[in-house]
Amino acid sequence: MTGRTEARRVRLPPLVARLPRPTPGNARLAGEVLLTYARARRALARRRPLPDVLAELRAVEAPTPAAQPAIAVGLRLGRVVQRTLSPVPGGARCLATSLVLVRMLARRGIESSLVIAARTEPRFLAHAWVERDGVALLPPADPVARRLAQL
Amino acid sequence: MPPYAPTLLDARVSVPQHVVHRSFAAETVVLNLETGRYHGLNHSAGRMLVALERHGAVRAAAAEVAAEFDRPVDEIERDLCELCGQLSERGLLEVDDGED
Repeated sequence: MTGRTEARRVRLPPLVARLPRPTPGNARLAGEVLLTYARARRALARRRPLPDVLAELRAVEAPTPAAQPAIAVGLRLGRVVQRTLSPVPGGARCLATSLVLVRMLARRGIESSLVIAARTEPRFLAHAWVERDGVALLPPADPVARRLAQL
Repeated sequence: MPPYAPTLLDARVSVPQHVVHRSFAAETVVLNLETGRYHGLNHSAGRMLVALERHGAVRAAAAEVAAEFDRPVDEIERDLCELCGQLSERGLLEVDDGED
C-alpha cells in the first residue's frame, strides 16, 4: 500500500461511448414522440375506425410551420420516431409508428399520407408507413407487397 | 328452399367506402378500415366481389361470373348469395334489398 489514492479513468464500453449526448432539442423531440405514441395506442385500443383515428391525430389547431422543406423535415422526424420507438414493446408497431409521425408532421403544418400494403406469400404480411409527395418517410413494404389504401 | 332470401338476387349491393381490396395471384385481401381487420377471399370469391362491385346487383354479377367460370347460373347465384351474406356480416358489403 502506498497510502495514495489514484484517480482511475473509467473507460466506457465502445457502444455506450459512441452514443450521442442528448441535447435539450433531442430530449424534447423524444418526449413528443412518446406522448404521441401513447395517444395513438389509446386511440387504436379503443378500436375506433382508422379514418377517425387519423382525423383526430391530424387535427391541430395552430400548427407551427416547419422552417425546412417538408420532405426533409419528414425524413428527419421519421428517423427520430423510429429510433425513439424501437425499444418500445407492443403490437401493430408499424401502424402506431406511422400514426405518431402523421401527428408530428401535422403539428408542423405538413400533410402526409398513411399507406397500407399487404402481401400474401410466402405468408400474409401487412405493413403501414407514411409518405409525403410519394416519398416514404418510414421504411415502406417490400416490393412484393401491394398497396391496399392510402389515407 | 334456397338458404338465402329470394329478394337478395334482386338486391342492390355496394362495397362500403371503408372497405378496400386487392387481388393477388392466389387470393384477394380485403381490409375493413373501420375494424382494422384483414380478410382473405379465395380466387373465386375474389372474382365474385369484383363482379358485385362492378354491377352493383347480385343477379347481374352472377351472370358475369357464371359465364367466366362456365358454370350454371343458378349454381353461381346460390354461391353469390351465400358470399353476400358472409361479406355483409363482416361489414364488407352493403346490401339494399328494398326492405326496411
